[in-house]
Amino acid sequence: MTAITQDSQQPFSAKFLQFYKDRTLLAILLSLFAVMFVYGIFFTDNYLTITNFKAIIRDAALYGIMAIGLTFVTLSGNFFLLSLKETASICGVTFAMGMATGFGSPDLAGNFLVSLLAALAVAVVSGVIQGYFVGMGGNPIVVTLGGAGILYGIGAWWSDNLVINFKRPHDAEWLGTGSFLGLPSITLAFILMAVFAELVLRHTNFGRKVYLVGANKAAGKATGHENFSMAIIVFTICSVCCAFVAVAFVSQMDSAQSNYFSAEFGSSGDMTILVIATVMVGGNSIMGGYGSTLRTSLGAIFIAMVDNMMVLQGFNSGPRIVGVGLMIVFSIIVFGLFAKGSRAQE
Amino acid sequence: MSSNNPVLKISNVSRTFGAIQALKEANFEINEGEIMGLVGENGAGKSTLVKIISGFDPGFKGSYKLKGKEVKFDTPSKAEESGIAIAQQELSLIPNMSVAENIFLTGAKVKKFATLNTLSKMARPYLDEVGLTDIDPATRINLLSVGEQHLVEVARLISREAKILILDEPTAALGELESRRILEMVQRLAANGKSIIYVSHRLDEIFKITKRITILRDGVSQGVQETKDIDVNKLVEIMLGRELANMFPSRADHISMDPKIEINELWPDGVLEPISFSAYKGEILGLSGQLGSGAGEVLASIAGALQSRSGSLTLNGETFLPKSPNQAIKKKIAYCSSDRKKDGLFLGRPIFENLTSPALDAISRFGFNFGDTEDTYAKNLAQEFLIDVKRVYDESGLLSGGNQQKVALGKWLSIKPDVLLVNEPTRGVDVGAKSEIYQRMRELAARGITIIFASTDIQEITYLPDRVITFYRGMMIDEHRLEQIKTPVILKEITDPFNETNL
Repeated sequence: MTAITQDSQQPFSAKFLQFYKDRTLLAILLSLFAVMFVYGIFFTDNYLTITNFKAIIRDAALYGIMAIGLTFVTLSGNFFLLSLKETASICGVTFAMGMATGFGSPDLAGNFLVSLLAALAVAVVSGVIQGYFVGMGGNPIVVTLGGAGILYGIGAWWSDNLVINFKRPHDAEWLGTGSFLGLPSITLAFILMAVFAELVLRHTNFGRKVYLVGANKAAGKATGHENFSMAIIVFTICSVCCAFVAVAFVSQMDSAQSNYFSAEFGSSGDMTILVIATVMVGGNSIMGGYGSTLRTSLGAIFIAMVDNMMVLQGFNSGPRIVGVGLMIVFSIIVFGLFAKGSRAQE
Repeated sequence: MSSNNPVLKISNVSRTFGAIQALKEANFEINEGEIMGLVGENGAGKSTLVKIISGFDPGFKGSYKLKGKEVKFDTPSKAEESGIAIAQQELSLIPNMSVAENIFLTGAKVKKFATLNTLSKMARPYLDEVGLTDIDPATRINLLSVGEQHLVEVARLISREAKILILDEPTAALGELESRRILEMVQRLAANGKSIIYVSHRLDEIFKITKRITILRDGVSQGVQETKDIDVNKLVEIMLGRELANMFPSRADHISMDPKIEINELWPDGVLEPISFSAYKGEILGLSGQLGSGAGEVLASIAGALQSRSGSLTLNGETFLPKSPNQAIKKKIAYCSSDRKKDGLFLGRPIFENLTSPALDAISRFGFNFGDTEDTYAKNLAQEFLIDVKRVYDESGLLSGGNQQKVALGKWLSIKPDVLLVNEPTRGVDVGAKSEIYQRMRELAARGITIIFASTDIQEITYLPDRVITFYRGMMIDEHRLEQIKTPVILKEITDPFNETNL
């Protein structure tokens, strides 16, 4: 058949959708923010206080940092790192071991730098290994679920499932409970990371490659950008973000256990689900190639606001986890609707 | 056989899609027990005609008579009830079910509860009829070869009492032996009184098995030819026979004798023996061959997109063998694949990102990309390849096929290639964009870039390149230069170089 595809003017609806594809998702998120804010002011006690908003951002920071790492994985088309909380857990145990025992050499016990480097090293190793298998063509879900089991198991085995305590004062207090310019250190770290990650994605070759490989792996390979190295790098970035959160969290608690970050411990439920929800609520494409860390950061703050509202309204953790689950579902539906509008024009 | 009383007769059929006239005036008839060949180039209207006959396309004008009675099929299943069935190139078998289950997939003739054993017994006669006597009906489909799967597909059609069978390029993806089985089956079925419409690009097969041939050109049927009264050259003449002169830029007046890239003993999958040839500076070299001839595979392996068992390339005095596209790009070899949606374009990303994708280093400093370097760079590229500069921020998926191809090809200029490899430069591209792409390729060659392209389009192969190398079933056949490039010779070499039609 003669495929005389005339280069006709694209229909107005296509242009409209194209133009508003970004903004619609953002507009929905922002209007939800506004609704929540107004509702909070009128119906919730103690809502409109600086302390409360600081608490919101602080909560957002914990899973926000992990979600920024995960955004790189999702944008590059490698789906998710499902071993988020397990990576955080083993890194937390490693850090606490360093702070408490110095890994067997008493000279090093309580040495912040050594403990931090050890935790980061664990993250890099697990990220590289998982990224390697995904880059070789392994299914990211299966590979990282397997990784999750192994990482959690090693952490529990090594710590004998005990709580590892290290006494105050210790060298990591500035990170756990300290603050600069009136903001908790972890909040500052979140803001700095969000800005830095957005710069990387927009203005570096690496960032561009993340988008290109995510949009089309085969075309990426054909233009010299292979997913093999990409997978290793993004999984490592994500794991390091998990390690950082773990270190900050453990510094705050002065202790670590392998089931920190799991549903039975965390006030807002399972860390992995929370982080994935953050990436989805921000409006990043689950298939890759479309989204940004800025969206993820907004998603983190949004989830923290909802969670905060529910806490102030007196809900306990069960309904709050349901709330997070519902947000994931809704964000997928909304994104699906708008993404379809644009893709249908291909 | 009563030739005055055709079982199916189509007269004065036309079909338009929007402004495009796919069929202008087509006549077609077939007798009982006859094998009718249907040939024509890409775009001549073969597939439209086939769709009309098999009931996929009810929106045509003209008369459609079955056994003398005027009929109209709204859906393919209505046509199937009247005994007209089509075996398409893409098989509709379910790979992990058994042969017997696939044959009775619709369950029309089967009792509510049937064991695989009963199904197998029921399937046996149909399998025998298509020549699969040695196949156990309980075998899973994915354990059969592609050729055998084609035979199963036909057995399924026969089980539904098809009287008129349309086979659309059944041997396109098959080797010699498997093709023979298909041909034997076709002849056996015809002897049993079935009418077969055989659509194929392989002229040797057409000559081997058909009684008569219907030739389509530009949507008009060129009369029915008795196979025994016609030869390949005559057939090709009727198939083409149209002016094309101004669509193609004039070719170079001589070929530089300065080899730019030498291909030594390259041996990728799909090629029978190691291939060696060289391409000269500033020439356009065409690799001609049908699907499965190996021409595309050779191109892909030069670019590192397909692994080669052995061999090396010599380019700019360096000898190497790229293991991945990345390595080839570093050596200034660009490769534009035949499937732009699969691995040519980032459809969801803007055009400018597509255009600069192979050359991120050129638009950045130390890996950082600030300012409007990229913007200027992409716009220049777009201008050079006649892409609307205002649209560079649009998603590339929104472009038409022709413009997408220009982006897929144009992005390679960003690496300033020494060698540009193009597989099917104008597949699914409209006429206007086609001639623009040809012009552009010629200009690039004039600038000193060596262009090697593979194509199944015989016009492109005849009029665009300075030199042509022909391929047939994984073998390199011959080479032609400048004025010696003649359509009939090439067509003969890519369809039947060993005179198998005379066997």
